[in-house]
Amino acid sequence: MPGDATLVFIAISGIFAFSFYAVLVAGQLSLGQAGFAAIAAFGSATLAPAPSQVGDVPALLIAVAIGMSMGVLASIVLGLPTMHLRGVFLAIATLGFAEAVRILIINMESLGGAQGMPVPKVVTPAIAWVFLLLVAYWFWRQGPSRYGRALAAIREDELAARAMGIDVGRHRLQVFVTSGALAGLYGVLWAYFVRLIAPEDFSFTTAIDGLVTAVVGGSTLFVGPILGSIFLTLVPDLQRAIGIDAGWIRPFLASLLLLLVILFLPGGLASLVPRRVRMPAVTGTDLGSEAAGLETRQHPADGEPVVRLRGLSKDYGGVHAVRGVDLEVTGGEILGLIGPNGAGKTTLVNMISGLVRGTSGTVEVLGIRPGRTAVHRVAAAGVSRTFQQSRLFPRLSALENTLVGSHVLTRPTFVRRMLWLPSARRDEQRALQHAARCLRRVGLADKAAVPAKALSYGDQRRLEIARALAADPSLLILDEPAAGMNHVEAAGLSDLIGALGRDGLTILLIEHNVAMVMRTCSRIVVLNFGEVIATGSPEEVAANSEVVEAYLGSAEPEGEPR
Amino acid sequence: MDVQQLLNGLFVGSIYALFAIGFTLVFGVLDRLNLAHPAVFTVAAFVGIELVAVGGLSIWAALPVVFVVGGLLGLVIEQVAFRPLKGRADAHFAGLISSIALAGMFIALLQWRYGPDTKRFPAESFPETTYKVLGAQVTGVQVAILLITIVLAVGLHLLVGRTRLGRSMRATAENPTAARVVGVNVDRVSATTLAISSALGAVAGALFAMNVNSAQLGMGGAIELKGLAVIVVGGMASLPGALVGGLLLGLAEVFTVQYIGSSWRDLVAFGLLFLILVVRPQGLFGTRKVREV
Repeated sequence: MPGDATLVFIAISGIFAFSFYAVLVAGQLSLGQAGFAAIAAFGSATLAPAPSQVGDVPALLIAVAIGMSMGVLASIVLGLPTMHLRGVFLAIATLGFAEAVRILIINMESLGGAQGMPVPKVVTPAIAWVFLLLVAYWFWRQGPSRYGRALAAIREDELAARAMGIDVGRHRLQVFVTSGALAGLYGVLWAYFVRLIAPEDFSFTTAIDGLVTAVVGGSTLFVGPILGSIFLTLVPDLQRAIGIDAGWIRPFLASLLLLLVILFLPGGLASLVPRRVRMPAVTGTDLGSEAAGLETRQHPADGEPVVRLRGLSKDYGGVHAVRGVDLEVTGGEILGLIGPNGAGKTTLVNMISGLVRGTSGTVEVLGIRPGRTAVHRVAAAGVSRTFQQSRLFPRLSALENTLVGSHVLTRPTFVRRMLWLPSARRDEQRALQHAARCLRRVGLADKAAVPAKALSYGDQRRLEIARALAADPSLLILDEPAAGMNHVEAAGLSDLIGALGRDGLTILLIEHNVAMVMRTCSRIVVLNFGEVIATGSPEEVAANSEVVEAYLGSAEPEGEPR
Repeated sequence: MDVQQLLNGLFVGSIYALFAIGFTLVFGVLDRLNLAHPAVFTVAAFVGIELVAVGGLSIWAALPVVFVVGGLLGLVIEQVAFRPLKGRADAHFAGLISSIALAGMFIALLQWRYGPDTKRFPAESFPETTYKVLGAQVTGVQVAILLITIVLAVGLHLLVGRTRLGRSMRATAENPTAARVVGVNVDRVSATTLAISSALGAVAGALFAMNVNSAQLGMGGAIELKGLAVIVVGGMASLPGALVGGLLLGLAEVFTVQYIGSSWRDLVAFGLLFLILVVRPQGLFGTRKVREV
């Protein structure tokens, strides 16, 4: 039976691991937690009233409130200037911050310098575990919420998440601040347990230990940090118990175990926990049933302007990718955009969806100005797209991918899930059914539980369309959706696009399969060298000699390298 | 301007630079942060001392041996910590952790062989001669540190820029899949890159031990953070950046100690790091990659 100290260490290093888990679920690697913990530990030990004055538990609660607030503040202060950093850059910047904090504390006489300062011991195993369970509860409820899915989407593909209407910057800052608050909690609990805190307790090694605990436990399920903490705290105990802890053996075996876990258990210890796959209980098989649906958007009526481009150009260095394009797309139209490779088609739709800002000219889509408006707002206004090269969320199931697509239509459920409000469950059910209907519409109903990366190529293309449809867009942009499909599949896709058009969607279709474009679209725009060389009905375009020369006559339009 | 301090800064800075060049090489070519690099640095310091104290080699003869030992450790790191992760979606994080784990094993083995105490070179290992440069006193070891760093940095620069291997490395850095398609043996490039990187880190470790005449198990931790700071300041994956960044950090530290106080020395690296990340995230010599849509 592990002793009291072991129990407390399991709990508080579990909390520390959660502060890494908080950012890892969104694909962020931050190593500043030791710095937040140090600020919280020294701050609360200095500011909180002594347990002898107000009693143990009140003193600790006040200290926790102070420490977590300081963690939040410090993470906002650090987060605002560093949120533009990605990957290891963020890790190194935050690590630098933590080291700077440690050195500052060493140099502050009032905090005891390198010797540190004494703190009364208040934390018991029960207290530590209550905090751990509260934190675990938080992440248990977060995981399958709309917020949790948005974070997973950001982890899998930030750009696609943005195009699905997720405010990536805000979400990243939120997880960063959550992480700061938890690191603060850890710092306070540590301080009120070990009796003497020193700057050395919050060093680079501490941060690495926290990261290791989180990764060994696994960042795919909320029990991961607890499992990691139990494992890594008990290994030394176990070694001592069986007498193999002499000098070098203990660190050697601990490192070896860590290596084995990371190499052979990719999802961490949490991947050993069996998971039930949640399938939507789909009711109401009729596709048009508005009562249960999330579709509330008023699509522009026929003939109303949806897209209006004026003299739009884009230069990359000296290359004119798009030159002076004027284009108007009206409600209910299915517009085909064709042109040889490198004609500027993708650049053009990137400007329409707001991913790329034009060099000159104006873009107006559904009443907003993409390029001057954040990408997620363009998505929220009703622009949804697929990508030329599939940008699904690879490790999420087909259903989850589609659920992320409905982000702009749904309401947040995390807080309500934490309070067990029935409305959260209702909203989740509606979202699930909506997503399932979108999957069924593209013929993927039976693949809902399959991870996107495991789908066939054609199914991936279809899933992209389902995900885009889930946003109930007014303007749907399809960037080469039929690439890699055979004739039967392409014909099915063409029928689907036609049906969507009849539902009132405006569709912009980029495609190399000219036969399909001719069959599907009411109007076709031909782009060559960044300029519009022809516009008109399929018949008019097919008869245009310039088009025939530039494009239709070219030998092999498929299979281009990118 | 105090010439003695300036030179001291250059000597310690060139060790930082040598360490950081190895660090950044792996990041640049393989897009991996190898956190076992500081462990190689530490191992090399102990091995260097043993070669001189027990093996009876001169410090100059020990350096090439340390270089080879470092290269071999690099091959081990590649085989054990990085190769098995190939193709995994979480290879980035997993590679950090597996290299940390391997580093822990290296250090534990050092402890087994040498014990936890500080080790030093035998008293008579260093040449007695000192040189006068602009009124400042410079030892032979210090001159050697500077020269060796310059020779290795230039050698690596030529290797990457002029040779067939260097071309393969650059191709792999640009796009591993495309490199494989055009016939580059990416696995071999990975192994070679880690071997070269670790060999440089090893020489840095041995030189560091000579400069301060001591080696401790914890010596890698301190330089690890500085190395990270240097490669960000210089520009991730930029070899000239790592060289300049290392020298800059060495100088800044020496002058901080002189004018502000020794307990603030370690703040310099992070101050620089922070400034650069916020103002110029691509670093002094880095180029910003254009994001593809």
